[in-house]
Amino acid sequence: MTTPLPGYAALRCGRASALMHRRSAAVAAVLLVLLAGAVVASLCFGETTVSPGAVLDVLLGWPSPEQLVVGELRLPRVVVGVLTGLALGAAGALIQTVARNPLASPDVIGVSHGASAVVVGLTAFGLTTSPGQVPWAAVAGGVGAGLLVHLLAWRHGLHAQRFVLIGIGLSIALGALTSLFLTKGDGLQAQQAKVWTTGSLNGTGFDQAGWLVWVLLAALPFLGWAARAQRGITFDDATAVGLGIRLHRVRLGTALLGVVLAACATGAAGPVDFVALTAPQIALRLTRSPRIPLACAALTGALLVVLADLLARRLLAPTELPVGVVTGLVGAPYLMWLLASSRRRGGN
Amino acid sequence: MAADTPRHRTLPRTGILAGALAVLLLAALLSLAVGSRTVPLGHTLHALLHAGGGTDTVVIRELRLPRTAVGLAVGAALGLAGGVMQGLTRNPIADPGILGVSQGAAAGVVTAISLFGLGSLTGYVWYGFAGAVLAAVLVYALAGTGRGGATPVKLALAGAAMSAFLASLTSLVLTTDAATMDQFRFWQVGSLSGRTPETAWQLLPFLLTGTALALAAAPGLDALALGEDTARGLGTRTGRTRILGALAATVLTGSAVAATGPIAFVGLAVPHAARFLVGPSHRWLLPLSALLGAAFLLFADTLGRILFPPAEVPAGVLTALVGVPVLITLVRRRKVIAA
Repeated sequence: MTTPLPGYAALRCGRASALMHRRSAAVAAVLLVLLAGAVVASLCFGETTVSPGAVLDVLLGWPSPEQLVVGELRLPRVVVGVLTGLALGAAGALIQTVARNPLASPDVIGVSHGASAVVVGLTAFGLTTSPGQVPWAAVAGGVGAGLLVHLLAWRHGLHAQRFVLIGIGLSIALGALTSLFLTKGDGLQAQQAKVWTTGSLNGTGFDQAGWLVWVLLAALPFLGWAARAQRGITFDDATAVGLGIRLHRVRLGTALLGVVLAACATGAAGPVDFVALTAPQIALRLTRSPRIPLACAALTGALLVVLADLLARRLLAPTELPVGVVTGLVGAPYLMWLLASSRRRGGN
Repeated sequence: MAADTPRHRTLPRTGILAGALAVLLLAALLSLAVGSRTVPLGHTLHALLHAGGGTDTVVIRELRLPRTAVGLAVGAALGLAGGVMQGLTRNPIADPGILGVSQGAAAGVVTAISLFGLGSLTGYVWYGFAGAVLAAVLVYALAGTGRGGATPVKLALAGAAMSAFLASLTSLVLTTDAATMDQFRFWQVGSLSGRTPETAWQLLPFLLTGTALALAAAPGLDALALGEDTARGLGTRTGRTRILGALAATVLTGSAVAATGPIAFVGLAVPHAARFLVGPSHRWLLPLSALLGAAFLLFADTLGRILFPPAEVPAGVLTALVGVPVLITLVRRRKVIAA
């Protein structure tokens, strides 16, 4: 039994063992506290301001005059925001790890817009109305778009830059398709579908997005597997194969998991751009971990979405902005900075 | 990076230009005749030549004629702007939309309308120019940092990031300002519907200026295609060419966007088609790009009217659907990546 690597603690439980990056664990704890604060703040502020004490009363199930405003109106939206953010952050971390490129994130490579196009298309043509079908439609669209980008970008191997460029192109085409479907749909359905075009939490609640909880719970064991497997795929290929890692299978599984999570988040809130791109990178810098930390990336994603939604609601009150506008305003400059500061040969 | 010479040119270049002109006329005629009220071509021509009292005549003269004129001007402007940009940057995937110039112009126009309440194209087009220049300079500066300078891929990525940012900014302004939003809901999606004769007339001087600038830059662009040093050695004033070209692209993109909002991919796909037909010389390439761009946009707009009646699909949506496959084909060629 050797001592673990510097910066890591070994966790043992019988025969099972895992390595834990100490700083990541600390960062995750801090992020959790911040997220709880952001959620409470999000529940406090709105048309009427509610005191944090009253919010806690409602959350703990005690009788409170604010039950309607906090519990019925704001809570569902905030919870959906948290879930969406968790899914996007995790999805971004998984896909960026596989691609070894910070630019490869589900919103850049067409997954989000694919999910959105299928959902809006089915809604506009009156083929789906029940919220139960939305996740399936979103996953089908997201996975389809991801596969299509992969196929189109494949030419004598996969070139990261070609992959990203084709992803951007396909995103534009899918966005155009979404507009096309919106013109087709009749007024009411188009209105309903419009929610998915910029990424918005307006009017989303447990009815529309409650299924996201089940998706995330079901994904947990896979995420655990991916977190362990990640360690292998960050080596160069030869080392990984030498260590006995089934590289191809691990990559495919990880990428697929990321695509499914991103597609589900899109099904719930529409394409909220730049969260999946930025959250993993922020988490990476916070933890100074050698790899993108999965749990911290997910928590960062949730924090970003909740804060962006709070801003979107209150910035120009009473007008509510779509949350995607706020994430775009913050995330796009970050992407530009990433481009400008990239010193690596391959990753520009 | 001028494209390869045309593989099987059997027609003389003048013949190709004449053919493109014929296609454009057909597109214009269809744009006048087809819609929720489709008028036979003979009647359409008659209505154009003789003012009469019939409903068909009114529809054609009052609604479709300005719309067709604007579509023609904007399509030609975008085709030209794309051709000039591809020559200037020697980048096969340059296009006003991809490099963020269109969104820059859009943000400038929206800001002008929202802040200063400018209501006429001649008033806000200048803000469109300013936005276009600012976006172009920023994108170029961004892409030029780091190793390897402004490669096609870095340019495209910087352009995409800039576009996303400016689009968010534009929707921020539009969401907060109901009046601006009302004026520009259709404009956002790059649609030609509801254009007035005034728009067409106001667009004309800018279009002519931009075209003149672009054609003046053509010989210099031919020399630039050989590389900076060779062009200098041949006695080309490369700085002058760059400034002329940049001015042309700005004026053309800015005025096109001010008239109809950002319309994607006309500037990307059209110059490539033109290069395939007449080869890499900009003296031929640019005029042909203008003709084909106008025809492409008019066809897209006409198709959008008959796809899902009574609703109209904005022309910009259809040009994107045609243009993206072109982009993907270009990216799959190794040259773009290796640059």
